[in-house]
Amino acid sequence: MPGAPSKRQKREQYKESLGKDDQSGALPKKKFYRQRAHANPFSDHSLTYPKSPSDMDWASYYPAYAAKVDESEATVTQAPKEEDASKQITRPVEIADIGCGYGGLLFALAPKFPDTLLVGMEIRISVCEFVQEKIRALRHQNLATGAYQNVTCLRANTMKFLPNFFAKAQLAKIFLCFPDPHFKARKHKARIVSTTLNSEYAYVLKPGGIVYTITDVEDLHNWMVEHFVAHPSFKRLGEEEQEQDVCVEVMRTETEEGKKVGRNGGQKFVACFRRMEDPPWP
Amino acid sequence: MAVPFQCVQACRPDPQDHSSWVLLAASGPRIYSCHSSGATSVWSSQKISEPPVHADEPQEPPGKKVKLSKQAEEPPNVSKLVVTSDYQHLVAVTAEDKCLRVFRLDLTGRLEPLSERPMPKRPCAVTLIENDATILCADKFGDVYALPLVPSPTDADDIFVAAQEKKETSASFVPTATPLTVHSGRNRKALEDQLKQKLQPKTKGPLKFKHDLLLGHVSMLTDILYAEIAGEKAEAKPRTYIFTADRDEHIRISRGPPQSHIIEGFCQGHREFVSKLCLTGSGDLISGGGDDDLIVWDWLNSRMLEKISIKQPVLDFFKAHPQHARPPQESEGDLKVAVSGIWAIPSSSSRDSVLVTCEGVPALFLFKIDSEKKVSSLQQTLPLVGNPLDLTLLESGQSTEVIIVSIDHTREPGSTTMLRQKEVNVILEQLNDQAQGDGLLGREVEVANAENPGKQAALQDIFYGIENLRKRAGAED
Ligand SMILES: C[S@@+](CC[C@H](N)C(=O)[O-])C[C@H]1O[C@@H](n2cnc3c(N)ncnc32)[C@H](O)[C@@H]1O
Repeated sequence: MPGAPSKRQKREQYKESLGKDDQSGALPKKKFYRQRAHANPFSDHSLTYPKSPSDMDWASYYPAYAAKVDESEATVTQAPKEEDASKQITRPVEIADIGCGYGGLLFALAPKFPDTLLVGMEIRISVCEFVQEKIRALRHQNLATGAYQNVTCLRANTMKFLPNFFAKAQLAKIFLCFPDPHFKARKHKARIVSTTLNSEYAYVLKPGGIVYTITDVEDLHNWMVEHFVAHPSFKRLGEEEQEQDVCVEVMRTETEEGKKVGRNGGQKFVACFRRMEDPPWP
Repeated sequence: MAVPFQCVQACRPDPQDHSSWVLLAASGPRIYSCHSSGATSVWSSQKISEPPVHADEPQEPPGKKVKLSKQAEEPPNVSKLVVTSDYQHLVAVTAEDKCLRVFRLDLTGRLEPLSERPMPKRPCAVTLIENDATILCADKFGDVYALPLVPSPTDADDIFVAAQEKKETSASFVPTATPLTVHSGRNRKALEDQLKQKLQPKTKGPLKFKHDLLLGHVSMLTDILYAEIAGEKAEAKPRTYIFTADRDEHIRISRGPPQSHIIEGFCQGHREFVSKLCLTGSGDLISGGGDDDLIVWDWLNSRMLEKISIKQPVLDFFKAHPQHARPPQESEGDLKVAVSGIWAIPSSSSRDSVLVTCEGVPALFLFKIDSEKKVSSLQQTLPLVGNPLDLTLLESGQSTEVIIVSIDHTREPGSTTMLRQKEVNVILEQLNDQAQGDGLLGREVEVANAENPGKQAALQDIFYGIENLRKRAGAED
C-alpha cells in the first residue's frame, strides 16, 4: 500500500536500525514491542525449547559465562559427555522470573546479585525481544564493569516447558509477579499457579528455595496462597522474614505492573513460599 | 459391513479352569463378550439423554450447539477397555460422554454394569493400582484422577455434603477485585468478564463421586503407567511410581499416592509427541510416539539407555510388501510413523521382548530388548491382513502366548483413510496359535455383523487418532 508506512513497516525499520553499530548502546523503545495482552498457554505456539536442560544453549545467552571448551579444568555444569560443551556455562542459572513482561524486576535484581545468573521467561515474542534488546544495550553501555552479563530473557511457555530448561533442584528463586488473573472459573487451569503446576515449581527449586508472588488482585492472591499452602512441598514465609528479604521490596517497586499499581494508589499483595525437603518414602 | 473392534481384551476369569477364556471386544458403542464355551453377550452404551451443557461457555456460536446435541443422539463409542488382574471387573471408557464405566465380569464372561462416572474431561488413558482397588484416569486436559474401582455408598454421601457446603460458600461469593484494586487494562477486562459470568447460571455442578486429583500436566496426556519397586531397606514398603506421557514430548515420573505431588524426574529425549509407554519384564521403560525411534530408559535415574529405530522396520516392511496402500507423501525420509501400541511379552528367556504397532501399518514388530548391552534389535516382523487397532495376549501355560489382534477390515492395509475394495472377513487375527485351536476366530465376526456403517466418522479418531497428535508447523503465535 502506498502512503504512510504501516505500523508493521515502522517496526521492521526500527528493528533493523538497532542492528547498526552506532545504535548498540541505545535502549529499545517499548512502543515498537507491544503485543496483544494474552497468549493462550495451551496452544501450540511455534516455540523453540531444548529437549532437556543439558541441551540448552545457555552460552549464547550468557556469553561472558561460556565454558571454555579447551581448558580441561573449567567446571562445566550439567554436561554429560555426549552434550556439546560449547553450549555450557560455568554456573547454573538460579533465579527465574516467570512471565517477566518488560523485565523491570530483572534489571533491578541483576546488579543486586552480580554473581548469580538470572533469566526472564516470557511467552509473548515481542515483549521478550524488547527485554533482549534492552539487555544487549545495557551490556554495551557497561562493557567496562561487565554489568548485566548475568541476566537474560528467553521466550518460553513456562506452564508447559519449565523442566526442559531447568534440572531438578536447580533454582534458588522463582518470581511470579502480577500474573494474569484469569478470573473465569473455566480458565483456572490457565492460571500460572495451581496445585498441579506447583509440583513443577517444586521440582525445579532446590530445598530451601523460594517462590515470590505479588498481585494487585486480592482474589488471585488468595488463590495463590491457598494453592501453595495446600501443596505439601511449600510453606509460606512469615511476615517478618518476608519483609527482611530484599527481593520483596524490589518486586513491589521495580516491576512494571508494580509501578503502575503504585501510581494509581492500589494495593499490592505479597506472599512467599519456601520449598521444603521431600519427605521420606512412605 | 461390520465395524471393526477398536479394543480387545482376552482373559481367563475362572481360576479353576485353565482352558476357558473370555474375549472382550469393543466395536463402536458396544462391548461383545465371547466365552470359550460359546456363550456370547453384548452390552451397548445408551444414547446420552441430555445433551452436555457447557454453562461456562456462554458465548458459543449457535452452530456449534446444534452439532453438539446432534452428536449426543448417538450412543457414545467405547475408547478403552481394561480388565482387572483378578478378572472380576472391566473398566471401559466411552469417549463422547467422557464416562468411566465399571462392570462386574462373571465366570462366563457376562458383563454387569456397576457404575458410570462422567469425568470433567475426556479420559485418554486408564490404569489400575493398589491391587486394582483404584482407577487412575489421565485426561485430555493433562490431569490424573484417582477413583475407587467400586465406589462405596458413604463416599457418595460425603461428596454430596461437600458439594452442598461449597454451594453455600460460593453463593455468598463477592468478587474482591474491584475497579479500585484493578489498575491495568488487561486486569480490568478480565474483571468485566468475571462480573458478566456471574450472571450466568451454572448448571454443571461438581462431580458427585469421589475423585482425587493426583497430578497434572499443562498438555494432553496420552498414556499412564504405574510401577512398584522394592524399597531401599529390606523392611521398607515398596516404592510406587506413576509415569505420565504427554503430547509435548514429556514423560514424567512422579511418586505414587499419597505422595503423587512429588516429581521424581523426567525422561527427556523425544522430539515429537509420546503416545505409548511400556514396562518390560525386567523393569526398563520403553516409550514411543511420533519419533523415528523408540527409546529405552533407565527411568529411576532419568537416563536414556538406547534408541531403537521403529521407522526403519516400517520402511522395510512396506518395501517388502509393495501391494499395500502407502501414505501419500513418500520420499522415504518423509514417512511419518506414529506408534499406536507397545506390549511387553512375558518371556522365559532372560531377555525382554516387546510387540509394537504403528498407526496404519499392517504388521506387528517384535523387538528383543537388551538395554544393558545396548543391543536391542528387531527380531521379527509379522505381517497382518489389515491395520491393527488393538492387541491382547492370552497366556496359555508356561510361556506360550496367544496374540489376538483386532484388524481394521474396512480400510486398505497401509492406509488410515482409504476404504477397502475387497472385503475380508477377518476382524480378529490370531498369531502364535499353538495351544488354542481355532476357537477364538470366526465367532466374533458373526456376533458383530449387524453393525451399521454410518457411524464410522465418529470412530475415525478412536481408530486413528495418534498421528493427529503431531504438531503442525506454523501454529499460532
Ligand atoms: C501482567 S504481566 C506481568 C509482567 C511482569 N511480571 C510485571 O510484573 O510487570 C504477565 C506476563 O506473563 C506472561 N505469561 C503469561 N503466561 C505465560 C506462560 N505460560 N509462560 C511465560 N509467560 C507467560 C504474559 O505474556 C505477561 O507478559
